[in-house]
Order: sequence, then C-alpha cells, then structure tokens
Amino acid sequence: MLFMETKTNAPRPSRRSLAGLDWFIFFLADVQTGFGPFVAVYLTAARWTQQDIGFILSVTGLVSLIGRMPGGALVDAARSERNAAAIAVVCIGLSALTFAALPAFAPVLLASVLSSGANCVLAPAIGAISLGLVGHAMIGPRLGRNARFASLGTGFAAAGMGITGYFFSSRSVFIVTALLLVPTLIALSQIRATEVDPVRAHAGVASPDPPDHGLLRLALNPPLLAFAACNALFQLANAAMLPLMGSIMTMRSANWATVLIAACIIVPQLVVAALSPWVGRQADRWGRRPLLLLGFGALPLRCLLFAYTPDPTLVVFFQILDGISAAALGVLVPLVIADIARDTGRFNLAQGAVGTAVGVGASISTSFAGYVSDHSGSQTAFLDLAAVATFGFLFVLVAMPETRPRQSTGSESA
Amino acid sequence: MFHVAGSGERAILSSAKTSAAALVFSLAIAMAGADPSAVAQTATSQTPTQQTPTQQAPTQTAKPAAVQPAAPPRDATPAQVLDDKDVETVLGREIYSIAGEDMGRIVDILVDHKGNVRAAIIDFGGFLGVGSRKIAVDWRAIQFNPDRAILSLTRDQVRVAPEYKDGEPIVVLGPESPPAAKPPHTQQTQQNAKPAATAPTK
Repeated sequence: MLFMETKTNAPRPSRRSLAGLDWFIFFLADVQTGFGPFVAVYLTAARWTQQDIGFILSVTGLVSLIGRMPGGALVDAARSERNAAAIAVVCIGLSALTFAALPAFAPVLLASVLSSGANCVLAPAIGAISLGLVGHAMIGPRLGRNARFASLGTGFAAAGMGITGYFFSSRSVFIVTALLLVPTLIALSQIRATEVDPVRAHAGVASPDPPDHGLLRLALNPPLLAFAACNALFQLANAAMLPLMGSIMTMRSANWATVLIAACIIVPQLVVAALSPWVGRQADRWGRRPLLLLGFGALPLRCLLFAYTPDPTLVVFFQILDGISAAALGVLVPLVIADIARDTGRFNLAQGAVGTAVGVGASISTSFAGYVSDHSGSQTAFLDLAAVATFGFLFVLVAMPETRPRQSTGSESA
Repeated sequence: MFHVAGSGERAILSSAKTSAAALVFSLAIAMAGADPSAVAQTATSQTPTQQTPTQQAPTQTAKPAAVQPAAPPRDATPAQVLDDKDVETVLGREIYSIAGEDMGRIVDILVDHKGNVRAAIIDFGGFLGVGSRKIAVDWRAIQFNPDRAILSLTRDQVRVAPEYKDGEPIVVLGPESPPAAKPPHTQQTQQNAKPAATAPTK
C-alpha cells in the first residue's frame, strides 16, 4: 500500500515520448513479423533440410516459452526499460542480419535463440514503458493505441514481405528487417527516459523488506492464475485455426489460395487497428469483463463458421471475428495484468507468466489440431477447437473477476 | 573439397611416396628455426631408411612450405570433375508447372533401398509460410532444364493431393505411368522400379 499515484503528481508524458512509443511499436512489429512462419520459407530456399528447419523452430519455440518469465523479471529489475528494449532490438537486428548473411546451422541457431530471447524481454518492456509513461489511470487508452500500432506494423510488414519476397528474394526480407532496426531505434530514442518512471513501470515498489513478498502474493493470486488459464485455453483453440484453414484453402483453390491467405492475415490486423483504441476507452467505462467476454466469445463462433463454411472465400470475412478477438485481448491482456499486479512491483513478471501460458496453449494447439485433422478430418478439428474455445469463454465467465479499480476514488491502492 | 589429381600432379605425388617423411621433415624445419644442420639431423634421425631427399634438404630451407602441398593421402581417391553448369543442387529449388505457374520448392528427396530416386517432396502454396502443403511427386515427373525445374503436373492436380507426412503411407503424384500413379494403399518401394537391369528375386 501507500503507493501514491494521485492526481497531484499524475504523469504528464510529452507528445514526443508518446509518438515515439507509437512508432517504436509499429516498427518493432515489422521487425518481429520477419521471424514468424517466414523463417521456414527462407531456410527452405537456403537449401536447408526439413529436419534442421524443424529443429530451429522447436528451439525458438522452447526459448520463447521458458524465457518469458525470466524476461519479465529482467525488465522488473532493469532501471531503464528503454535501454533494455534498445538492447533487445539490437539483438533482433543482429539476428536478422545473421539470417540474411550466414544461413548456416550454427549462426542461424544462435540468431534464433538471440531473437526469441530478445522478444521475451521486448513484450513486457513495451507494457512497462507504457505504464511508466502514463500510469495506471491512463493505461487503458494507451494500450489501445499500442495494439493499433502493433497491428498496423504487422499488417504493413506482412504485405511488404509478401511483395519483397515475391519480386526480390526471401533473403531480402531479412535485409529489410535488419534495416528496420534503424527507425525502430530512432523511435525508441524519442521516448524521454526521464518520463518513464521505473516505479510506475513495474507497478509499484518491488520487494520491500520481506524479500519477494510481492512475488509470492502474485504467484498465489487467484485472478492471475485464472487469467493465465483463460489465455492458455484461448490460444489452444486459436493458434491452429489459420494454419489449418490455410492448408485447406491451398487444397480447395489453386490460384486464389495465396491471395486469400494473405487477406486472412491482413484483415484481422486492420480490424485491430480500427477497434483497439475504442476497446481501450471502453475498458475504463464498461469494465474489463464485458470486453473480455466479447473477445473470448468471438472465437467459438469463428471456429464454428470455419467448420461449416461452404466456401473458403467467406473465411476472409470470418477473420473479422479474429480481429475482434485480437483487439479485445491485445488491449485487455496487459491491462488486466496491470490491474492485478498493481502495487506488487512485479508487473512484468506477471506479464511473463501469462505469456508463458499463452505460449504453452499455442504450441499444443497446432499439434493437437493437426492430429485431429489427420485422423478425423478438418471439420472435426474445427469443432474440437470450438469446444475448447467455448470452455475458455465459460471459464472467463465463471472464474474471472472484474479487475477494474473502483473509478470513483481514482487510483487508490487496494 | 575434392582432391583432384591431374596428370602432372600425380607424378609429383608418386615421386613423393616419401611424403610422410617429407612432412615430418618440413615440420622439423619449422620448429628448429634457422639452423640447417640441426634440421638435417632431426630429419634423418626420424627417418632412418632410404631418405635421399634429406641430403638436399638444407638447400631448401628457404621455402619449406613448398613441400607441404605435395602431401595429400597416399593413394589418390577416385574423383571426377563436374562442370557446375551440368549439375545442380535440388534442395530449395523452385519448381514450375509447364504453364509456368509457381509450384513451390523442392524440400526433400525420397529414395528406395537401392538408392533410386523415387519422389521429390515439394512445399506447395501458402503465403509467408502459412497454409503451405508438402506433396510427394514422382521424380520422373520433374524435368530439370538449365534455367528452371519443370513439373509435369498442374496446380489443380497437386493441390488436392494428400499431404506428405513422416511415418505414413506416401501418396506420390506420378507421371502417367500406372504403378506410381495410385498407391494410396501401400507404399510399394520394391515392385515397380526398374527391374530391367537388375531383375531381382523373381
């Protein structure tokens, strides 16, 4: 308690810092998109065997699973979130250069570990910088803005990479990725370090005299555990959807599949860009729960539509639902964590914990859906995913409390 | 990395049957520094047999490195030189249909127990790695032209094929020849290959 963040010394971040954060998130999303599924395409073109590619992808997945919590703890311990983010961005840029210049086993393995480790730091660091800049009172709209710029960046990068890869080479994608390092760092440098309050950024003062009191309180916090479980369920249902549908599209339509899949990737990003600031504002008015239910409720509906769609073209429209889910979760996941971790000083560790749950759900999802799809057909797979998604929705309904701090008294501690 | 032995080199090589000794000798020079007599002694002491070359050794001390290239493995490994315009790597190769449509890339090759190449796995379709499918196509359906590899199947034929997965029966999209065209039941590695030359058990 006694964490005084009252109206008298409410943070007043400069426009320059806020714009810096906007564009930092935008360019970072560009950079990160390069390390998605495209890695497999690139390494294939670089004459890698499928076994080696599979190994690299597994290592990357493993690092980003086990790295989340240490990454969060690191950001909590850091005195300057900005510098932590800058180092992580440089690591990603170096990894991209390594991918482009030396597509041999050892360098690529090293670069993959480096970039996924850096991502484990960056995800919480963005949340921390945001919270450090604007404080708890204004964090909702800020996270809405973050989600908008992240999805604009991803959509822009996916389109750009598609064009670059098509007209030039898959290697040029990584060169462009490495070049994007420059605007990313420039944007980051626009954020004034003095305006990012480390105490605010960690959601309070970390570990007072009884060491790790906050850690224990956080680990045993029922809302946080419930929230992590909800997100794991969401990703368990969600992560396999597009890859599975993409494969079906490729099978059903020869010439339009690529365009349709591209549209399926880009449409949700546009929806998120349009919706998320609104989500950020409404989260303060309506509370978190209605919007969480909206995001979690859109997923089972989408699963059902995927299962029964007569025409893959329609899937592009169904992806609007994906955008709704992504907008709601993109804003509310960090927001609810900020609510829960308030005054523990462990905001970023909590982000890492939920991030781990998300990663576990996502990594099981693809193998689970692939297995069901092989043995019982893709429709059964989508129906199974719908069942998991429905369970996730019900779990939110039953287990998640409203975490919005009572508005009337402004920002008081619990 | 191949050691290519041209005729001239081979001559050197055989005359340097003593190459092991020569190598020891040159190392000794390197270690002993400038004193030629010490070198000669070390060399002779280590190779007590018919080492006539060592007698001339001191005169060569100025360029000991010249001895080293003549020290490859004793009997030359059979090797041949191929023009890199005549052969090419297939992994990661882009492949096209006859009509020039993009058919993806070759990501793996399947061979039978005799080493005959049976099928290529192509990674087909998708966008940025999402939604691509791995399909096995008969090796004989691929034609390797100097500028591009051409698959004699259409996109519509390839897209509906079952996906290639480890440990499952492999459906190989074939050229028209019947044996490879419809093998969904079993995988028959043996029967259809090319019994003409070897005529195995039957």
